[in-house]
Amino acid sequence: MSEARARINAENVVHETVDGEVIVIDLSSGAYFSLSGSGPAVWEMMLGTGATAAEVRAALGARYEAEPDAIETAVSDFLARLRENELIVAAEGDAAPTTANGANGAREPFAPPVFERYTDMKDYFLLDPIHEVSPEVGWPKPAA
Amino acid sequence: MAEAGRVVSAVTLSQPAPLPIQNDPGLDYLESLRGALDLAASAAGGFVEHDLEVAGVPLRLSCAGDAMPDVLLPPFEHLATEARPPELRIGVFDTASTGVEPPPLPWPPLHATPGANPVARFESDRVCVLAAAGTGALTAADQAMGEAVFHLPDASRIPSSERAAPLREALHLLMAPRRRWLTHAGAVGRDGRGALLIGRGGSGKSTLALSCALAGMEIVADDYVLLETRPPVAHAMQSTAKLTEGSAVRLGLGREAIDPAGFEPTLEGPAKALVEIRTLVPGLIRRRLEIGALIAPVVTDLPEPALEPISPAHGLRALAPSTILQTGSRSSPVLGALGELVRAAPSFELALCPDPAANATVVAELVDGLG
Repeated sequence: MSEARARINAENVVHETVDGEVIVIDLSSGAYFSLSGSGPAVWEMMLGTGATAAEVRAALGARYEAEPDAIETAVSDFLARLRENELIVAAEGDAAPTTANGANGAREPFAPPVFERYTDMKDYFLLDPIHEVSPEVGWPKPAA
Repeated sequence: MAEAGRVVSAVTLSQPAPLPIQNDPGLDYLESLRGALDLAASAAGGFVEHDLEVAGVPLRLSCAGDAMPDVLLPPFEHLATEARPPELRIGVFDTASTGVEPPPLPWPPLHATPGANPVARFESDRVCVLAAAGTGALTAADQAMGEAVFHLPDASRIPSSERAAPLREALHLLMAPRRRWLTHAGAVGRDGRGALLIGRGGSGKSTLALSCALAGMEIVADDYVLLETRPPVAHAMQSTAKLTEGSAVRLGLGREAIDPAGFEPTLEGPAKALVEIRTLVPGLIRRRLEIGALIAPVVTDLPEPALEPISPAHGLRALAPSTILQTGSRSSPVLGALGELVRAAPSFELALCPDPAANATVVAELVDGLG
């Protein structure tokens, strides 16, 4: 049985990588996120058709000098947080595995992926949210 | 009272569309709205036209009568120009003065939560329609044609949010294809070069911007600019600033500097009043400033201000969320543009002290050191 593949929830988030840190903004909730350490490498694997957890572990194992258990735990926790916050969603279909940059050559010391969530914009956002609509879905009714 | 514009009787907004007609419900709605605008102009005795230059782009406001320009135009007076062929056109009308209603939205209605102002968006390849449930403000823009229509139920009861930053959504939609990005930031400087003041509402941007202007620095805006990133330039939009009563007291502003409407509740928090920057600091408001640094203010009780470099990513965290969440488009490349900016210009955090002049001195010294 093949492992579930996940990809970036491109319908709800926008993201930008600056100086080794990914800033992700969730347009549906108003929360935003910072991914650092090896987080940007994992995030990069979620682009396009995405990747499975096994593929992420393998890519980080090839790139970083670390015990497999350390990588497995870090990847599992990190992907769980991305999933809980709906920054990634299940991807359909099989695709060629993606490899993170730096998989060849000397391995770097492992920098665990760091996930930070910010909600200071959330109250501000909820006062003046923008709701996407379509002819099919209609003009939305915000929660009372 | 806005400066008198040219009165023209012919319909000037509706142009023959050079692009192929598409099956686009947004385009259909905009066409209906243009029809309502034409009717409104007829009812008001014709269009009143005002020419502006916004972010270097000639823009014409075609107003159905005088009611809307009287309330919308004062914050744009510093951008007024002689008439010349416009690249962008915005038609505006209200129902109270013309008796013309906009066509009903072709989607189920949006119900506002009390105290909130949710904005519904329909977006197609060419057209974006934004309807604010709380204020009733309606904006529809054809980005390919560079045309927008803006409607309010009653110009004489314009919401304070619209008075502070009128036509914000229309300018955002029309300027984005020209790579001028509506950005939630202020800008101050010296000799045409300056710093972008970044951060969410309540972070101290407005107070710091006006502190700098009162200390003799040039100012583009306190809250919203149109940003170019290649090279970084902040362009002026409206000349209004919003201040809390505490900030007004700290800046030593008398009652004459405050808009007669006084301090009104805002969606984002404490009551604020409008301040007209042009009259507060005559001669210091600028249409543009080159941007050499970003400053994220933080309100503190420190005895002296403290300026510290922060990482580009930290700068992006201070700048991007409030900008992106207010424009809301999933397809807009504005986040990429803001990323370009923080890579091109250094970011700083400025811990503000209670003395506005001391804070302004730190900004001036930073700007002077930009070279």
